[in-house]
Amino acid sequence: MTDTHCPYCSLQCGMTLAPRRARGGAVLEVRARPDFPVNEGALCRKGWTAGGLRGHRERLTTPLVRDRATGELSAVGWDEALDLVAERITELRTASGDDSVAVFGGGGLTNEKAYLLGKFARVALGTSQIDYNGRWCMSSAASAANQAFGVDRGLPFPLSDVEQADVVVLVGSNLAETMPPAARHLDRLRERGGRLVVIDPRLTTTGERADHLLQPVPGTDLPVALGLLHLLDAAGALDEEYLAERTTGFDDVRRSVAGWWPERVERVSGIAADDLRAVAALLAGSERVMVLTARGAEQHSQGTATVLAWINVALGLGMCGKPFAGYGCLTGQGNGQGGREHGQKSDQLPGYRMIDDPAARAHVAGVWGVDPDSLPGPGRSAYELLDALGTDGGPRGLLVHGSNIVVSAPHATQVTKRLESLDLLVVADIVMSETAALADVVLPVTQWAEESGTMTNLEGRVILREQAVAPPEGVRSDLDVIAGLASRLGCDASFPLDPEEAFAELALASAGGRADYAGITYDRIRAEQGVFWPCPDRDHPGTPRLFADEFATADGRARARVVDHAGAAEQPDADYPVHLTTGRVLAQYQSGAQTRRITDLVDEGVFVELHPMLAGRIGARDGDQVEVSTRRGALKASARVVSTIRPDTIFVPFHWVGANRLTNDALDPMSRMPEFKVCAAAIRTVAPAQRVGAS
Amino acid sequence: MSALTAGPGKVVVVGSGMAANRLVESLVSHGVDDITVLGGERHAPYNRILLSAVLEGTHSVDAITLRTPQWYADHGVDLRLDARVDRLEVTDRTVVLVGGTVVPYDTLVLATGSLPTLPPIRGLVRLDGRLHDRLHSFRHLDDCLRLSADVAGRLARAEATGGDVRAVVVGGGLLGLQVARALSIRGVLTEIVEGSEHLLRSHVGAPAGTILARNLKRLDTPVYTGARAVSFTDGAAGAGPDEPSDRRCGLTLDNGHTLETDLVVITAGVRPSVALGRRAGLDVRRGLVVDDTLTTSDPAVHAIGDCAEHDGRTSGFVPSAWEQAELLAARLAGEDVRYDGSRVVARLRATDLDVAVLGEPEREVAAGGEVVEIANPIAGTHRRLVVRNHRIVAATMVGDLSRIGLITQLFDRRTVLAPHEPGDLLLGDAPVRPVVLTDEAEVCACAGVTAGRIRACSSLETVRETTRATTGCGGCAPTVRQLLAQRATTGSARAAAPTARPQQRPEERTEESPESPENTEGNLR
Repeated sequence: MTDTHCPYCSLQCGMTLAPRRARGGAVLEVRARPDFPVNEGALCRKGWTAGGLRGHRERLTTPLVRDRATGELSAVGWDEALDLVAERITELRTASGDDSVAVFGGGGLTNEKAYLLGKFARVALGTSQIDYNGRWCMSSAASAANQAFGVDRGLPFPLSDVEQADVVVLVGSNLAETMPPAARHLDRLRERGGRLVVIDPRLTTTGERADHLLQPVPGTDLPVALGLLHLLDAAGALDEEYLAERTTGFDDVRRSVAGWWPERVERVSGIAADDLRAVAALLAGSERVMVLTARGAEQHSQGTATVLAWINVALGLGMCGKPFAGYGCLTGQGNGQGGREHGQKSDQLPGYRMIDDPAARAHVAGVWGVDPDSLPGPGRSAYELLDALGTDGGPRGLLVHGSNIVVSAPHATQVTKRLESLDLLVVADIVMSETAALADVVLPVTQWAEESGTMTNLEGRVILREQAVAPPEGVRSDLDVIAGLASRLGCDASFPLDPEEAFAELALASAGGRADYAGITYDRIRAEQGVFWPCPDRDHPGTPRLFADEFATADGRARARVVDHAGAAEQPDADYPVHLTTGRVLAQYQSGAQTRRITDLVDEGVFVELHPMLAGRIGARDGDQVEVSTRRGALKASARVVSTIRPDTIFVPFHWVGANRLTNDALDPMSRMPEFKVCAAAIRTVAPAQRVGAS
Repeated sequence: MSALTAGPGKVVVVGSGMAANRLVESLVSHGVDDITVLGGERHAPYNRILLSAVLEGTHSVDAITLRTPQWYADHGVDLRLDARVDRLEVTDRTVVLVGGTVVPYDTLVLATGSLPTLPPIRGLVRLDGRLHDRLHSFRHLDDCLRLSADVAGRLARAEATGGDVRAVVVGGGLLGLQVARALSIRGVLTEIVEGSEHLLRSHVGAPAGTILARNLKRLDTPVYTGARAVSFTDGAAGAGPDEPSDRRCGLTLDNGHTLETDLVVITAGVRPSVALGRRAGLDVRRGLVVDDTLTTSDPAVHAIGDCAEHDGRTSGFVPSAWEQAELLAARLAGEDVRYDGSRVVARLRATDLDVAVLGEPEREVAAGGEVVEIANPIAGTHRRLVVRNHRIVAATMVGDLSRIGLITQLFDRRTVLAPHEPGDLLLGDAPVRPVVLTDEAEVCACAGVTAGRIRACSSLETVRETTRATTGCGGCAPTVRQLLAQRATTGSARAAAPTARPQQRPEERTEESPESPENTEGNLR
């Protein structure tokens, strides 16, 4: 029996694994672990069935190398595979320089892997070209929080604080489906008499719990925030004393929202002015207001600005730093938080240090035992990196760890084309994902229960996933892969194979940084149900709540930033008349590489949600095949006719190949987040479904 | 001088209203740096359309201030408030202020807005030319502050004496209705006089206007339509002009009736403020005539906002003014963009009175648009969509704005609709039928548990242990308890009919022919 955490989302639910002998090998049985406070024993069906990939016939158990002549993949030994990769990397670097080899990481990797991957890129490869799929997840909230508070920790308080708020405003989150056990905290909030406001173009199971549901046009969460702030200011509901003492820049923000009266917001967002007024009145009369954003608000070309606008609402009401109130972001990926703190982001070094900061470079180079000048500078952001692959001046080789780019990248057809143009694509994964299927070399790696490592959950709580079973024969950890390649590339820096050793080095590298892990150890995590960063030394208790006295800015004050609405990069027109938005379903996770292979999870395949009015317009009935097209691609899927979505909007879940062939690669200028959450689309009926009684 | 090649040079803006403010913001963001603003009011630019909200008390003056003088100074813009322009010397390219100050320009933008129309009412204007102090116009912030102070004083005195305060609003357009509602909410007994046959004559048809009048009556605001005020009689003959008097005045209508009142607010429409341009010899019809580049008959002079007339139309609406301001700023910064009109959505901002007008319904009907409408005088609602080429080209909505967010989107985006849609938009959502949960309906999405499996359990503990339902997000707990309770009382699973809707299932799912529960559990396909 091993106490550990779920392999999927940022909630990192506590669970207990009980390996059991069964026909065909060891089976991992998942049991409730009631002592972990975030989920208190609750799990969703993804968690309960998480053991399903253990012993799965599709697990990769041997390295594969593609024969250049036939295009076939064939099994090789580890040494042969790693030798080949190292050799090809060396050729590329010799021919085209250090930046000719790129690394792409993931928000599901442990802190240790993320840290060593960043170190590997900067020290062993000497490349500036490293980024990760978390850029498509958290980056807008991260950018906004850094600007406003001087630090980016998804939630600046434990998740259970939600229960003690008076009002929680969820902007673009469907947590009841994406992280179901989190919804228990909302239910307790409501049992206490607290109110819930949900802002989402769709009425979801989260929205069903709401006292106020606002269903804006996709891409207009920003003007909704501006309108609320307008009304709050008009009503004299802003906390003037707090604004004077703890913020700078709010007067300009106040002026900027004077032009966002509710009827103007109504025209832009589709939210009736009176509905906005009702929410403003609720906020104005509440002591403790908590604003939480998620991908619905953030995955836009104005994602950062949108989050800043909602932060301004929380600041205006004097909530940030107040107990059971404030602003937070609901992180998406399992290690979305830790994954962005330790150096797999193109512009960062461990400890959330910026790579262009000379002091940061000196500190990290010292820990690594290299010359600070040898560290490369900032590289390309995730989409820009992929878009440059195989082009003039772009990388020619790419190593992928923990990401299924072909499914998860925006404008996926273009990205796939770029991947195919590479001289060398190496993918480390547990199954033959759509991306691995394009690789020259596929490396089979361990899954979560077969290795140890830390994750940092959505609260900034560093938790420990413990190894429960031995990996299958032939499978190695990502840490082995990194170390094996580093030594073959002649790099003598340390690349520990033992996660705990790697974590100790990470802690040193992070010391003094914004995300300071220096005082955290595996033993402390075990003893304390996780430790919240910053935790600068062994005697420090960790920091469950931030901002009580000051913000992490130079003068300790939060920065209110003026932002204005520009709208989605692509607006509906005569050819593409509806908004397309994307998201998740309960039974699947991210690109589905894991969950689609677990037989106990429903895999209904990709579908399109549309309103009966729109269905009537295109002559579609529930279950019919429809085709959704955008300027970038098309997708055929079955129609789900539901009255829970705006009639001018359609929804496609992104767990299957296809959704991201449609999405727009317009980027947020500050976070470089692609606009996954809205683009212009056309929809038509292809074929009616087989119906009972139909001839 | 062509704006496209040489830059705008020294830009002078006459006016400091919403169009002027937006123009300056846009010019600043385009990097235009030599800007002078001559504002006729003493206040920094403010959001004029919220004046009735200030009167009502929902907004403070501070909350409607768009930019402070400090902002202008910080961005190097020379903002001169309370600056009265005497004349334009377009041949010299100068603006001459009252008092003789001369302000030269290379590019002049007239954003002079509009002026209230004063109806021909005897006694309105004193012998000395000033408006009688019981009369209020409602265009500028100072008008609003004076009216608000007057109302506050009268209400305080009335409260002391146990009396009441009465007001008559002359003009039943959008502004008149907003002011009337604001006064009512302040506690003033308010009546509306409208010279034409129905309210909002320039925006809605007679049936909608009639329903609106009924709605106002329900809010204790009588409306007199088809009645013109012809004379105002001052009850306080002999009192000095600045001496407060609480004696009632009389406003006599052309039907002979006299309304007793303490104050009169004139909201009888506005006209573009074109006097400066006219005297300077610019081409003026109703407004200052501009072409698609927002240029007047003088190539160095532009006009935007309420004072401008483009393609035969003047607008009184902020969105058009802002579109023009942004477009002109872009042009002055060197972009070749052209103005081709604006889509207007007029929304009444008045508590408990719901009105929206999209586009120009009367004009669109006359142009052959088809009308889809539903009127319910009993409920006080009247909603009309005007449809042409499968698109909503105009609409009026009175008393029911439940679909306004969607209808506005379809209007603004010119969405092509199927024949059934305009009707559907007005009919509202079909009532949700209670769903009888079939055995295969999924009750717990977290664990993927069907109603049938819950019904097979004897207690909540068994449900938890054997199915894990309720152990995830907890959202299904009420439905599970209901299913178990019905099982206990009826003993028949199929008779049980919880009304909870299964989570996130397609609408017709429950109508599909039932299969055996075993087959539908887990993977449906």
